[in-house]
Amino acid sequence: MAHIPDGVLAAPTLILGGMMTAGLVVVALRRLTDERLPAAAVLTSAFFVASLIHLPLGPSSVHPLLNGLMGLILGWTAVPAILVALGLQAAFFGFGGLWTLGINTLNMALPALLCSWVFAPWLTKAEGARAWLIGFAAGLSAVLLTGLLVALTLAFNGEPFQPAARLIALLYAPLALVEGILTAIIVGFIQRVAPELLLKETKADGL
Amino acid sequence: MAYRRLAILGIVLVLASPAVLAHKLKLFAQTEGNWIRGRVYFVGGSAAAGTHIEVRDAEGRLLAELTPDTEGRFGYRMQSATTEYQLIASTGDGHRVAQRLTPNPLLADPAQTHAMDPSETASGANPLDPASLMLIEQTLARQTQPLAERLNALEDRILLQDILGGIGYILGLTGFALWWRCRRPQS
Repeated sequence: MAHIPDGVLAAPTLILGGMMTAGLVVVALRRLTDERLPAAAVLTSAFFVASLIHLPLGPSSVHPLLNGLMGLILGWTAVPAILVALGLQAAFFGFGGLWTLGINTLNMALPALLCSWVFAPWLTKAEGARAWLIGFAAGLSAVLLTGLLVALTLAFNGEPFQPAARLIALLYAPLALVEGILTAIIVGFIQRVAPELLLKETKADGL
Repeated sequence: MAYRRLAILGIVLVLASPAVLAHKLKLFAQTEGNWIRGRVYFVGGSAAAGTHIEVRDAEGRLLAELTPDTEGRFGYRMQSATTEYQLIASTGDGHRVAQRLTPNPLLADPAQTHAMDPSETASGANPLDPASLMLIEQTLARQTQPLAERLNALEDRILLQDILGGIGYILGLTGFALWWRCRRPQS
């Protein structure tokens, strides 16, 4: 799954992942706005807890990621938010690990950023009824992209790519669907009760 | 107002998580006579049946590859007098867990143990031959296994405190960030 534990990956991947994540966090912190912080806290909490919703699936088990939603609402702030949530998950639940924190954050933050880049501008233009559709697309593509990145990470570390990728595709495809629906519901809900949350994003700090 | 609504949404999301279960892969194994028996499962208890388990000796040489049954249980008959075994379970998609296992030295090589224990040879009073010793060991292991397994599972259980603690940290960090940003312009 998306939380790669310690002991699976080789040092170069860990170092590269850590460095890239550090770079992204620095950029994100520069762009951080005060108004974004409370929303970031709530979404970080949701992300933190979402990993406990466990759906047994074939030989493995999956859980919602919510990184598409984070990218859509938080933009760049999603990067430190995901880092904090993953750090706490490692500390409290033992998911992932300290050494893999960098690469795991990268695998989840990059799709979030892409979602923000691709879908957030659409959200501003979307009339009420269409917002959920964008949410669905964001949730779906973020999970698929995370799956791809995890498969690539494993491939770089000796795990034969094809079986791992096939397994991950198998696992992530249904998860992506669930995640898409979940994100669609949440985005639709936010659109109805607090549309300014979605609109402000693109004006303040879109990519 | 918007944030209060978002906070409510967040709380609803948290409460909606149906079960405090998770997906970390766990391996539990112990020796039972000259068998290694164990179970692979995800934290929360569901069996990890599709796992691939490697048995290696202390130097990392591959001794056997096992596939657990539908309950995640597996067994391996120890053949060599290796003093240490390594069990590595992986699901192929990034879940991986390893455990070292040291079989009871008494069973691995009874003669050697006896020779090293002067008090025993001196007194000459050793009513237990290796066969009955092994039987005792086996029975004991079989009886304590469920207990040990449960203890292990209890240890992994994610408690409500952990969740609340994590959320507390997130809120604390946010508060800290807000405070930091508020004081900067003044200084």
